[in-house]
Amino acid sequence: MQDLPAGKPVVTDTHPSLLDRTMEAAARATPEPLANTVRGLSDRMVAWLFIAPTILLLLAINIFPLIWAIQLSFTNYRANRPNEVVKNIGLQNYERILTDTDTWIAMQTTAHFVFWTILLQTLIGFTLAYLIDRKFRGHAFWTTIILVPMMLSPAVVGNFWRFLYEPQIGLFTYIVSFFTGIATTDILMLSNVKLAPWSIIIVDTWMWTPYVMLICLAGLRSIPDYIYEAAEVDRASNWRQFWSITLPMALPFIMLAVLFRGIENFKMFDMVNLLTGGGPGSTTEVASITLKREAFEKWRTGFSSAFAIILFVAVFGLANIYVKVLNRVKSR
Amino acid sequence: MADISLRSVTKRFGETEAVSELNLHIANGEFVVLLGPTGAGKTTTLRLIAGLERPEQGSIVIAGRDVTKLEPAVRDVAFVFQQYSLYPHLTVYENLAFPLRSPTRKRSEAEIKARVAEIARLVRIDHKLENKSTRLSGGEMQRVAIGRALVRRPAIYLMDEPLSSLDAKLRADLRLELKRIQTELGSTLLYVTHDQIEAMTMADRIGILAEGQLVQIGTPREIYTQPANLHVAARLGQPAINLLPAGLLPDAAPAGTKTVGARTEHLTIEKVANGHADGTVDWIEHLGDQNHLHLTVGDRKLVTLTDPDTAFQKGDRVTVRFRAPLYFDGAGNRIGG
Repeated sequence: MQDLPAGKPVVTDTHPSLLDRTMEAAARATPEPLANTVRGLSDRMVAWLFIAPTILLLLAINIFPLIWAIQLSFTNYRANRPNEVVKNIGLQNYERILTDTDTWIAMQTTAHFVFWTILLQTLIGFTLAYLIDRKFRGHAFWTTIILVPMMLSPAVVGNFWRFLYEPQIGLFTYIVSFFTGIATTDILMLSNVKLAPWSIIIVDTWMWTPYVMLICLAGLRSIPDYIYEAAEVDRASNWRQFWSITLPMALPFIMLAVLFRGIENFKMFDMVNLLTGGGPGSTTEVASITLKREAFEKWRTGFSSAFAIILFVAVFGLANIYVKVLNRVKSR
Repeated sequence: MADISLRSVTKRFGETEAVSELNLHIANGEFVVLLGPTGAGKTTTLRLIAGLERPEQGSIVIAGRDVTKLEPAVRDVAFVFQQYSLYPHLTVYENLAFPLRSPTRKRSEAEIKARVAEIARLVRIDHKLENKSTRLSGGEMQRVAIGRALVRRPAIYLMDEPLSSLDAKLRADLRLELKRIQTELGSTLLYVTHDQIEAMTMADRIGILAEGQLVQIGTPREIYTQPANLHVAARLGQPAINLLPAGLLPDAAPAGTKTVGARTEHLTIEKVANGHADGTVDWIEHLGDQNHLHLTVGDRKLVTLTDPDTAFQKGDRVTVRFRAPLYFDGAGNRIGG
């Protein structure tokens, strides 16, 4: 290939796959001298060489463990007893998980978290984005301030919220007590059965609302000004502009934020583990905590592999259905 | 329908004066076209009338009411934007019905339906009412945008280059259509364009804008035959007017003439076999129904129209004479009534 005229596809295909398009982009970006010096190799080969490290890495740390976990899920293997004979027990693990009340409770707890965190984060995030989009004085400054929690490490966040929730010295408890008059010693955010789930919802909302806000803001910014101007001339009130222009046009973005947060919170682990460790009792025991207990406390490796696969299929399935809906909304 | 007055309106964007000291009166039922190059302040003038911009100075009066400080919604205007500016998530029907669903004047659904159907027929989009507005061709989108303005009966219709993004054929069709609709409805219409053909064919009066100032306003005929200055003269006519220094050709120019402006109708060109010639034919551009004749006279190039079956040929030596051309003084203003 002597030259790559712009606009002329290197890999001709009526429906180029992502891989093809990536390779085409790679071929296009390859400086000509390089393509010429690597003699004997076709452009396609050169492209493959460039993406090979990534693909190998993906295979090694994603695909291979997944396949192995699937295989383990049909056995009674225990990682802490490597010398024991591994028996193939078919679908027994799956059967036990799907009929076990504890795992169902864990799933319900997870669903509960996902629902409330998404609801709060979407409402607050969108509201913040809507306000920031008014472009008032200093809006860039406030955007940065709002984004700070998102940039922190979850481990740090979990630890310092544990201090904030502290009944004796915690700032959060102090403030709540100041406004409600309830004694600080009665506000046991992390050990009260009723409050513990909310303590986690609050932290997750505090940390990830900015993320939702950012995506919503991108959505709001994508609505061109002249649409609003047309609506203004058409005598649509602010209220009507919001419901008939702002919300429908930002909806795909909001749904995208919900998707990301949903997948993320379905496997919420670090924050729960740091704040309550699943307690008190099992009130905040989300699926990922159950999974960790089964895998690394009880060492039921085969069983927990099966559980992980079930979770994976559930998230994957739900996400796929959701993406279909999202695409329909987008193409309206 | 109503009359509109702009009284010494000035609008600045930072340091630049987009519109300065603009005075304009549009009578009830009049079709006025503002013509000017990009950045002349045409769009800003429209936006000022619509209330999408606020002037620094001056006042805007619609139907005897000073609306200078009022919101767009209460000014009773309809606006067709240069970008189609349809509501992308709504159907064509909903787009057309949108201005009718204003809370200030409640209409019944049947009333809205009848009105939308009427307008859809007028702009010839009635076969696509249920389509999403994003699934239309450019021409269809713009017809919907025009329809959305026409669906109401505002004091004035404001149109910002509504035809500029359409192909030539559709533009010609819609030009006629728009003029017909305007005459039929007797509506007041302010139309902005940089296309002289649109201005000449549709306008009752043309206003020439340059650098935020109204240079001249008058009927298309007046603007064409009696341009106030070089700028106005250069805006109209196809091919563009030939501007030649005085004295290039023998002529009885009035005193003070610096530049002579000559369009096709101002020139008599004849072939000479031998003897004195003023210039030569450079080449002939064949446009089909007519030809462009390119001449060199002295060190100047001239372009005029000529018949499709012209006898001129490349290299012909010709005499060129003026026939009552336009004379401009040193400041660029036209000399004589």
